[in-house]
Amino acid sequence: MASEKGTLYIKGDRDVEVTKPDVTLGDLLSMECADRSVLPKVKSLKLLKFKQTGKQRCVVSILKIIERIHEVCPSLDIQNMGEQDIIVTYEDQKTPAFIWHLLKTVFVAAITFFGGAFSIMAFNNDVDVTTLFGQIYELVTGEVTDGFTILEITYSIGVTGGILIFFNHLGKKRFTVDPTPMEIQMRLYENDIQTTLIEDSERKGEEVDVGRVGAADISGSDRT
Amino acid sequence: MWAEWAQQIFLGVIGLSAGVAVAGGLFAFIVELGVIADFADRTHTGDKILFYEDCTAIGGILGNVLYIFAAGMPVGNAGLAVFGIFAGIFTGCWAMALAEILNVFPVFMRRAKIVRYIAAFTISLAVGKGFGAGLFFFRGW
Repeated sequence: MASEKGTLYIKGDRDVEVTKPDVTLGDLLSMECADRSVLPKVKSLKLLKFKQTGKQRCVVSILKIIERIHEVCPSLDIQNMGEQDIIVTYEDQKTPAFIWHLLKTVFVAAITFFGGAFSIMAFNNDVDVTTLFGQIYELVTGEVTDGFTILEITYSIGVTGGILIFFNHLGKKRFTVDPTPMEIQMRLYENDIQTTLIEDSERKGEEVDVGRVGAADISGSDRT
Repeated sequence: MWAEWAQQIFLGVIGLSAGVAVAGGLFAFIVELGVIADFADRTHTGDKILFYEDCTAIGGILGNVLYIFAAGMPVGNAGLAVFGIFAGIFTGCWAMALAEILNVFPVFMRRAKIVRYIAAFTISLAVGKGFGAGLFFFRGW
C-alpha cells in the first residue's frame, strides 16, 4: 500500500462547482504522477460530503487535501501547482426553467438600455451641452446657432464611435481579439467574491483545514 | 466661402473629438463601477454579458441622439413609466456602486465600530434615497 514513491503534482481551480454530494479529489484537482497507478487511487479518495438538498458551499485548504492523500500514500511527495484554497460549491443539478433565465436577461437588458440612455442624457444635461455648443458655434462662425449644426451631428457620430470603440464589439463582431471591458469587469468581480469567501471562512474558522475536526461531514454554510 | 467651409470643418473636428472623449469617459465610468457585471452576477446570466454591453451601447447612442436633436418620441405615459422605472433602478445601483468603490461604508462601519445590524443601514439608506428623490420632484426643485 505504502510503496508509492515519486512526486504527485496537483493543480486545482479556485472555484469548483460539484453536482453530487460526495466530493472526491478527482472532482477538485487535476493530477500528474510518473507512477500511473497512483492516479486512479488518489482521484477516487473522498474528501467532503454535502447534505443532499439545497446549495451549500465550503472552503477547503490544500493542506487538508495533501493530508488526505498522505493518509493513503505516506511516502508520496506532493507538489501543489494550483490554488491554496479551493471553494467548493454544491448545487443540486436542477437547471432553472429557460423562461426564467430569459426573463432575467430581458430585465437586465432593459435596465442597461434605459440606464445607458438616461446616463448620457443626464450627462449632456448636467454639463449643458446644448448651450455649450451654441457658444462654440458663435465663437467660431459669429452667428447664432439654430440648434442643429455640424457640431451636434459630429458629436453624435463621435459618441457612437466612442462607445463602440470602448466596448470593442458590436453584436458578435469584435474589432480586436482583446476581451471587452465588461468581460474583464465580470472576472474581476468574480475574483473579488472568491477572495472574500476564502478570507471570510478563514476568519470564522470554517475552512476545512488540517488540525480541525469535522472534515468528514461538514455541513457547509448555506449559500445566499 | 472658403472661410465658411474651414469653420464648418473646424466645428466638425471639435464635435467629433468631444463625442469620442465623452463616450469613453462616461462609459468607462459605468463599466468600471461594475454595475452591469453586478447585475449579470446577481441574476446568474453572466453568459449574456456581451448582449448587455450591446444594450448599454445602443441605449447610449439613441439616448444621445434623442437629447441632442430633441427628437419627438410618442411613447405615452406607459412608455415613460417603463423608462422611469428602469432608469431609476440603474441610477440607484450606480449611486450605490459609486459609494462602494469609494469605501464609504467600510470606513464608517470601522470608525463607528458597527458590526451588527448592517442590513438596517442598507434599508434606511435605500428608503432615504427614495424619499429624497420623491421630495425633490414633488417640490419641483
